[in-house]
Formats: sequence, C-alpha cells, structure tokens
Amino acid sequence: MPTYLRRHAPFWISIFAGITLWEIAGRSTSAAFMVPFSETVVRLWQLVKGGEFLSQLLDSGKLFLSGFILALVVGMPVGMLLARIRTLRIGVEPYIMILYATPMVALIPFILSMMGFGFAPKLLVVFLFAVFPVIYNTVEGARSIKPELIEVAKSFRSSEWALWREVMLPYTLPYTMTGVRQAIGRALVGMIAAEFFLSATGLGQLIMSASQNFDTGGVFASILIIGLLGIGLTRLGLVIEQHFARWRQ
Amino acid sequence: MAEQALSTPVTAAHKPSVSASRWSGTIMPRLITGLTIVLVWECVVRAYAPAYVAKPSTVVLAIPTVITDPAFLQALGSSMTAVAEGLAITIVVGTVLGLLMGRSTTFDRIFRVYINGFNAMPMIIVLPLFSLWFGYSSAARVATIIFAAIFAITMNVADGARSVPREYLEVSRSFRSGRLRMLTDIVLPASMPYLLAGFRLAAGRALIGAVVAEFFLSVGGLGYYILYNSRSYHHNEAFVGVLLLAAFGVGFELLVNWATRRFMPWYRRDEKTS
Repeated sequence: MPTYLRRHAPFWISIFAGITLWEIAGRSTSAAFMVPFSETVVRLWQLVKGGEFLSQLLDSGKLFLSGFILALVVGMPVGMLLARIRTLRIGVEPYIMILYATPMVALIPFILSMMGFGFAPKLLVVFLFAVFPVIYNTVEGARSIKPELIEVAKSFRSSEWALWREVMLPYTLPYTMTGVRQAIGRALVGMIAAEFFLSATGLGQLIMSASQNFDTGGVFASILIIGLLGIGLTRLGLVIEQHFARWRQ
Repeated sequence: MAEQALSTPVTAAHKPSVSASRWSGTIMPRLITGLTIVLVWECVVRAYAPAYVAKPSTVVLAIPTVITDPAFLQALGSSMTAVAEGLAITIVVGTVLGLLMGRSTTFDRIFRVYINGFNAMPMIIVLPLFSLWFGYSSAARVATIIFAAIFAITMNVADGARSVPREYLEVSRSFRSGRLRMLTDIVLPASMPYLLAGFRLAAGRALIGAVVAEFFLSVGGLGYYILYNSRSYHHNEAFVGVLLLAAFGVGFELLVNWATRRFMPWYRRDEKTS
C-alpha cells in the first residue's frame, strides 16, 4: 500500500495535527469555553448511547428529506417549463434571480407568525432554501439544448411528452444535478435554521439545549456530528453531480 | 429561441427596430409577470389572510415611514457596518490563505481538509458556540459573518492561484523575481476573476450570516428589526427590511458582474456557485 500511503498521508497527518491542537487548546482553557477532543468524543458517545441522538437525527432527517424532495419535484418541472416557453422564461427569470440572491432566512419570522410551530412551516423553510438552485440550474441546462434537436424532434412529429422525455430531460439532468448539489447544502442550512428559529426539534434542538445548559461538551459534540453530516452529504452531492456530468457534452 | 432557430432568418426589411423588439421581447413580459405577482399576492392576502399580513399596497405605504424611522436607519447602519467589517477581514485573510494554498503544496495539504470541511458545514451551527465565546454581542455577529464567508473566498482564490499559466511564472523566474514579488505581481492579478467570483458568493453568505446572527443573538440590526417587527405583527414594516436585504443581495451580484466585465473583459465568467 505505498501509493495509498503517499497519497493520503498528508490528509491523515493534517487531521491528526488538528485533533492534537484541539486537545491542547481544550485542556489549556476553561471547560466553559472549549472542551478537548477526547471529552467531546466521550460526550458524543453518551448522546449516542442514550438514544437521544438517534431520535433527533431521524427527526431532522425526515425534515431534510421531505423538504429536499419537494424542492426537486417542484423545481425540475418548473425549470423545464420555463425553458420550454420562452416568453415565460424571460418574464420570470429576473424574479427568480432576485429570490435566488435574497437571504431566505429573513422570511423565517413571517413564516413563524403566519404558520406557527408545526411541521409544515419548517418544511416550507427547507423547501424555500433548496428550490431556487434547482430551478436556476435546470433553466440553465434547458437553455443549452441545441435548438436543432428540438427542430428535428418536431419534424418527426414528436409529441410534446416525448420531446420532454427524450430530449429535455436527458439534456437538463446534468445541470439539474449541479442544482441538486447546491440544494443539498442549502437545505441543510434551512433545516438547522428552521430548527433553531421555528420550533426546536432534531439536531438543532440537541445543540440548542446543550448551549442553554452550558454543556460545552454537548455543543462541540453536536457541531462535530452536524459538521460531519454536512461533509458527507456534500460529498454525496459531488458524486451525484459527477456521475451525471458524463452526459454533458 | 427554440422555435425560431431553423426557420428563415429575418430579413433586413422586416427587422424591427432594436428598441421596439426589446420592448416587446423582454420588458413587456417582465412587467406583466411583475404585475401578476403583485396582483395575485394582493388578492390572495386580502381574501384569505389576517389583516396584519404584508401585502404590496400596505408595504408600499410603509416604505416612507420606515426609511425615515431613526431606529430603522440605526439598524441598517449597524448591520452594514458588521457586514463591511466582516467582509474586509474575510477578503484579506481569505486571499492570503488562498494564495498560499494555491501556490504551495505543503500549505495546500495542511489546510485543504479543513477549508473543504468547514465550507461544507451548515454555517449556522457555530452560533451557539460563538455565543458562548463572544457573548451575545456584535463581536459574535462579525465572527459569524467571517465564518460564513471566508471559505468561499479561500477556495476560489486557491483555484485561481493554481490555474495561473505556467509561462507567466517561468518568465518571472527567468527575470529572477522573488517568491513574494511573484505572488503579489503575477499570481494575485491572474487570480482576480476567481477572487471576484468568490467575493460574490462570500457577500451573499455574509448577508445570511448577519441576519442569522441577529436572530440568534438578538443583536440590533436589520435582521433583528425584521424579527422584532414581525413578532409584534408589524409585517409591512418588517417586509421593507426584507426588500432592502434582497436589494443588497442583488446589488452585490450586479456589482461583481459589472466589475468582471469592466475590468476583466477577456475573462469568460465561469460559474462557480455553491
């Protein structure tokens, strides 16, 4: 395994150095400020063993997945429709751009006071965070379809449905997947924001209650776990994107 | 676009004047869509929602009172100062880190894992930690803004520094330029477009960071103004704040696009959003 070692040694050395630094910093400051790596792992193990962590993870996972899938189910057809009907696209494009650039978190207080504390408002938040990258990138992809392809399909009397299935979908999918990768990251932020600011549930509650109880170890353990989750999901998004990128010409 | 591609090209005689085609081609549909959105919103809220919910007619009426309200101006100033402060620190530190990572394998190997890792984290999870470290203060807000924005700049600048054409570096080396000189005079200008792309991302995230921090920490600012007013059922006033945030978001976007076209016209913007 010498090649494996040579390629990955810097990574592991860097990780090891980071953990050592964390441990030293944690030991030399007060426990209210920072907790060393070893204690964080112990605290994390307690959370896992107590079952608290798993139930919160499932709760968050449900919110994330339903919001994300809703964003995909709505975003893809809307994106393709916008690409297909030119006037509609030109009309709607600037507004989508504006919504894409607006910090969606600013809408959370309105959602709270109109929809209350249930599951639906949280779902809406995750959806709003995730849907615009999907639409934006799908439109981008559909615009890149060669007009000749649609012309040819039309001259062979292709039905509108066949055109969507055989031309539009395969052409836009790689772009949509770029949107999916971006949407994963945003949906995760939306999920935590909804859990922080609407009603405290899931992983957001785990970290909130730890911080309110001055349980610094719990805060670090939650951040570690949510961070690793974020890294894992981002990697997954990259893999999906690259898988579909092979279609792109 | 799709329908016209293979059809006969428009002959010069039939070609409508540029301004007329622009009017019917882009401005009209946009105006109509905008009016439809406003109208539907107004009608739906009037028909189904309680009176305090924001609707276009009342939001417009609220604009003059809000923008002359000293509390609002103070909130705006406070948020913008924090964003400017955070972005200034972010640009300096992020660029230096990015240049080092892009040009030195050792640096890259040490920092890459962490920059990628932190960038993939949902940034708002650091809020409880920052509130422990900095208290419920505006320092915690600036820290959140920096954490939200810095990795986007660093990653982009590192990409830019890595993609500097080898010939440039060889020429400068043949003229016996020092390492630092090479970094400041060749690598930095060559990675400028990447820096700008990173800045566009970073500015958007900094805005989100500021709003989220104000929600969480109850620090006075635009985000807190929105939170406070919507809690006390002043949705119209709060929505003016949202409009302003949207304007800033779009403003940053347009600024970077303009700067890229104006100062780097040779550079075809490569989409790097995340």
